[in-house]
Amino acid sequence: MSPRRIAHTAAEGGIDLIAIADHNTTAMVDVMAEAAAEVGLGYLYGIEMQTREEVHLLAFFDTAADCHGLGSAIDRLLPERPNRPEYFGDQVIVDLDEEIVDREPRLLINSLDLSFDDAVALVREHRGLPVPAHVDRAPYGLVAQLGFPPEGLAFELVEVTGGSLPGGFAPAAGVCFSDAHRPEEIGRRTTVFAIEEISTSELALAARRIGGRSVRCREQERRET
Amino acid sequence: MQLSEVIERLSLDVFAVAGEVDVAVTGGISSDLLSYVLSAAKPGDLWITIQHHENVVAVAQVAGLAAVVLADGRQPSDGTRERASAAGVALLGSSETMFEVGARLHGLLAGDR
Repeated sequence: MSPRRIAHTAAEGGIDLIAIADHNTTAMVDVMAEAAAEVGLGYLYGIEMQTREEVHLLAFFDTAADCHGLGSAIDRLLPERPNRPEYFGDQVIVDLDEEIVDREPRLLINSLDLSFDDAVALVREHRGLPVPAHVDRAPYGLVAQLGFPPEGLAFELVEVTGGSLPGGFAPAAGVCFSDAHRPEEIGRRTTVFAIEEISTSELALAARRIGGRSVRCREQERRET
Repeated sequence: MQLSEVIERLSLDVFAVAGEVDVAVTGGISSDLLSYVLSAAKPGDLWITIQHHENVVAVAQVAGLAAVVLADGRQPSDGTRERASAAGVALLGSSETMFEVGARLHGLLAGDR
């Protein structure tokens, strides 16, 4: 998907804040930040990691530096198996004008050689907010892969496809993200955050409903009305 | 067949043992999806997996499994090992693949009947 198309589609859909979370790479986060800025969209730097247990873990960062720090740390943990574009698509890295500037030769859908628990710790080390992705979905959701949340790991936010949080994640707050892989999927699931500014620490405060902040899936809101 | 005999016949490594090793192994299950094991395993099964997250121990305990075999040379973390010892879950290992361990276990149990 082209960065400008993502930004325009999101802005037209009435979305205020986006993040892209490419699989196991941070290569596109800066171009996406520029595209978001062009249309006045709020933006957080993101990634979706696939851990050794085949669990998907989202991570969000306030700065490009922190996001790339995490990106560099996991780069050597991606297996050297080459991509097969005819099966998995071309893994191009483009600029704002959609000119191809590079290609990731390694298969990005692979699992990193990193445990889920270590991935969470690594995100925190880089001042990021770890958010287990689509925990209620199989495969690649935490519940399908690991049965239940690992003991001793606490999350502020947990992403759910179905809108309600499975048991064991409390006191985390559930959030709904589009997980858009195609332009028409942008905004198909969204979350309403009441926060004072766009930052990962504000999202964490909203999860704990501190100072009038709040978070809820928009789908739930629709169901209730 | 008793677990101690399975350990011996399959030349399994022992990472952690329950206080009472000689539980009966009555069947087997192979999967890396913990949710599947939780729903499909039967008490007394020997669970063969390459998954070595700490949650494996809790799943084995909840499902009442005879033991867990980490196949293909997978090594448990210290945390997983300690948790298995504390929970009294036998945590074993094999350099063979899940397919090979499963096939050999099936042969052992079939011969036992």
